[in-house]
Amino acid sequence: MDQKHQDAHNELKNTTAEATRSGNKALIKPFPSRFAITLSFSSYPCRCRRNHRRLCIRRLQSTRSSEVMGKKRKEREAQSDDDDSSKSRTKRTDSDKLVVKPQLLPSMIKNKDKRSAVYAKIKHEKKVEKRKNAKAREALENRALELGEELPPKKIPRTIENTREADETVCKPDDEELFAGNDADEFSSILTSERAPKVLMTTCRFNSTRGPALIKDLLTIIPNAEYYKRGTYDLKNIVEYANNKEFTSIIVVHTSRREPDALLIIGLPNGPTAHFKLSNLVLHKDLKNHGNPTSHKPELVLNNFTTRLGHRVGRLIQSLFPQDPEFHGRRVVTFHNQRDFIFFRHHRYVFETKENKQIDANDKSKDTEDGKKQLKGKIIARLQECGPRFTLKLTSLQHGTFDTKGGEYEWVHKPEMDTSRRRFFL
Amino acid sequence: MPRTTTVESAGCPPLRALTFDVLGLIKVTEARSKLGGVPKVVERWGQPESSRCVLAASTNDRKIDPLLAVARKSGVIELISSINGDLRVSLPSGNQADVQSQEDNIVGLHLFKKQTSESSSRSCTLLTCTTKGLSTLRSFTIPKSPGDSTSDDTQVTWNVCAAGNVLCCKVDDNENYALFGGKGVEVNIWDLATHTKIWTAKSPPKNSLGIFTPTWFTSATFLCKDDHRKFVGGTNSHQVRLYDMAAQRRPVMSFDFRETPIKAITEDQDGNTIYIGNGSGDLASVDIRTGKLLGCFLGKCSGSIRSIARHPDLPMIASCGLDSYLRIWDIKSRQLLSAVFLKQHLTNVVFDSHFNDEEVAAASVPPSEPKEEDELIERDEESKSRNVVKRKKKKSKSRDVDDDESHSVKRKKSKKSQNEDDDVDEGPRSKEKKKSKKAKNVDNYEEGLLSVEHEKLKKVKGRKSKKSKGQRVDLE
Repeated sequence: MDQKHQDAHNELKNTTAEATRSGNKALIKPFPSRFAITLSFSSYPCRCRRNHRRLCIRRLQSTRSSEVMGKKRKEREAQSDDDDSSKSRTKRTDSDKLVVKPQLLPSMIKNKDKRSAVYAKIKHEKKVEKRKNAKAREALENRALELGEELPPKKIPRTIENTREADETVCKPDDEELFAGNDADEFSSILTSERAPKVLMTTCRFNSTRGPALIKDLLTIIPNAEYYKRGTYDLKNIVEYANNKEFTSIIVVHTSRREPDALLIIGLPNGPTAHFKLSNLVLHKDLKNHGNPTSHKPELVLNNFTTRLGHRVGRLIQSLFPQDPEFHGRRVVTFHNQRDFIFFRHHRYVFETKENKQIDANDKSKDTEDGKKQLKGKIIARLQECGPRFTLKLTSLQHGTFDTKGGEYEWVHKPEMDTSRRRFFL
Repeated sequence: MPRTTTVESAGCPPLRALTFDVLGLIKVTEARSKLGGVPKVVERWGQPESSRCVLAASTNDRKIDPLLAVARKSGVIELISSINGDLRVSLPSGNQADVQSQEDNIVGLHLFKKQTSESSSRSCTLLTCTTKGLSTLRSFTIPKSPGDSTSDDTQVTWNVCAAGNVLCCKVDDNENYALFGGKGVEVNIWDLATHTKIWTAKSPPKNSLGIFTPTWFTSATFLCKDDHRKFVGGTNSHQVRLYDMAAQRRPVMSFDFRETPIKAITEDQDGNTIYIGNGSGDLASVDIRTGKLLGCFLGKCSGSIRSIARHPDLPMIASCGLDSYLRIWDIKSRQLLSAVFLKQHLTNVVFDSHFNDEEVAAASVPPSEPKEEDELIERDEESKSRNVVKRKKKKSKSRDVDDDESHSVKRKKSKKSQNEDDDVDEGPRSKEKKKSKKAKNVDNYEEGLLSVEHEKLKKVKGRKSKKSKGQRVDLE
């Protein structure tokens, strides 16, 4: 294109130069009219140096009639007067010479007021269009309802979750190897209730304020957990000690700048070690309207642990809790995985029957109509949050117990894995 | 706009790789040019069971009747035909009592490729090494059926180290020397003919701070094909060391690689490139003459690499490990050719270099010649193609359901036929001859019983695998 342009340019230069010099009108005739039009009405006649461009324009001005320039301004004025701007832009007062007008983008307008006016207009148009579409859709639905036809299918919004990249490691329920692997892994003895889970909890070397508070909260959540002061012991020695005491897992809360920022869960005696980043911690006492949990064994909800890795992490978390929840305690602990973030929540719940207003009105005869009320009432579940609230993100899963130097990793998060926001590992 | 990664799989040339995992499964992955070189799992041998976890594997990659030696966690060593996964020999856990096998797992296993001169083609030699350093060299003949006891069993046992745990054991290419090393065990070289230690390494001196890093070898390999004097070891303190027996007892050169222990080292055929894999899934190639890193194999590998295998002919390597992927890489460009998800933590990978793509293609057309094997097994007068289908089905079914019983039944069947083949007496022989319309067999027969027997075996095996493979291609 540049080459072409250059050629045209040279030609133009020659012809115009000669024309101006001699003033001969015959020479202008071979002047290719196509170029003339494109050059005069495209915003930039030539993409060479700026000086050159200016030169070009000046030459054009000199050769062509001077009315061309004035016309542009006139047009613009006409445009602003006219309501229907989009049409007026292409409309010409005298369109005998001006055949094609290249589309003028709003960003090309240099006057800010004008530009923003155009933008506002476009925005308004879009809004109107959207409203129109919504109305049409609603009308269609209403008509379908009236006629008793099938409703038009509802559109499903595209989210990051449902456009997740296909992953072959996602567990399938008909995979017999998965179940064989489950039976053979480190947690199977706990999850089949052969061993009761027993958890040792400790902190990092230096901890204060929020760290111990989190430990206190966690102790109420995980039954059969014990807190040991870290002291100056190495974690490897602690692992050995816990093995001798027949603990089944160790939880280490790591704090940095008085704020808990990492969680380490070690399966014993030879289970994997998971390293989590901990964030968004809200402690039990800082929660508004928090409930006070009972000492029953909680129920456990693990959501969305789909892949092999997720499955393994889920089983690791599962092995912290006893496998026989006390349902009358109405206490539930949730680990919800969404986009590789594991959200921890702790709730109490209650099932209530919502009473109808009719029954409320005649509450004198409440006792007699008790059975009736239960039938009429709608059962709803009500939640009350208690305990801490935090978010975990897996950074590594190590094979075997804690060993930073000689450890083998089953999975490590590496920065080169983050090439897509739609790929998830859990 | 969804940002998605493109499938970088460039496709593989035809190849066949066998992987071993912690549940004792052996999975056969094949890539065929017909299917665009996308490797797929075609067969799975064995039943998932944690006690059958494969600790070490070795293969003699020969053209005729290739064998696979597999050491299980229970202490059993199995010899398996690497064509169809038939169990040939199952050796119980040594002569020791079962008590010791619990904590004394086998770490090294080598199946000798070259034949000892005096023995027949059915004999084979195995070197095993346990964690405690008990290494055993045993040779035996493969019996005709797996139930029979191994005959001609000669066994030599010696102790490699007094203390410490042996973690790696390698035999050089001429199979005269073996090296052992491990946690607290300096690398030592043993002459396999005389069972004597000929060389021991010396640990490197303390560093400038006076800190001594304890000896802990996690992997090792001989460097050249015809030179047993140079070898490379990888340590737990992420160091790679080059030793030269001719030069000195301390490492000639050593360099660090990343932060996690070196878990796998494999040499290239050119004798100066090595491939190292570590505990956090980094794989790299290094020129060992200079110690310069040639480049890393990048491909989102995030689990520890347990084993690397170099293909004998094609320019590629396979790696596998705790991320349950078998990955195949190009050596030159260091690009990932393909990755296959194999569901379990993998411990070993082995290439089958005699995999022939054309053979498979040819087998998809039903062969015109009558099959003695089929007639022996099921004497029905069905058309050949249906015959094949039926057999295939049976096979797969039995494999699905299978426990040792069904396996053994099947094996017995095949063994029976084999025995009939093998039988020297004239009766079944002539009957067979009548059935087969080839005159070739007669000539072969005169040449010598052994060779006939061998070739027949091979044919049968080959056809078996052909059929199964061909069928699979058709089904797809």
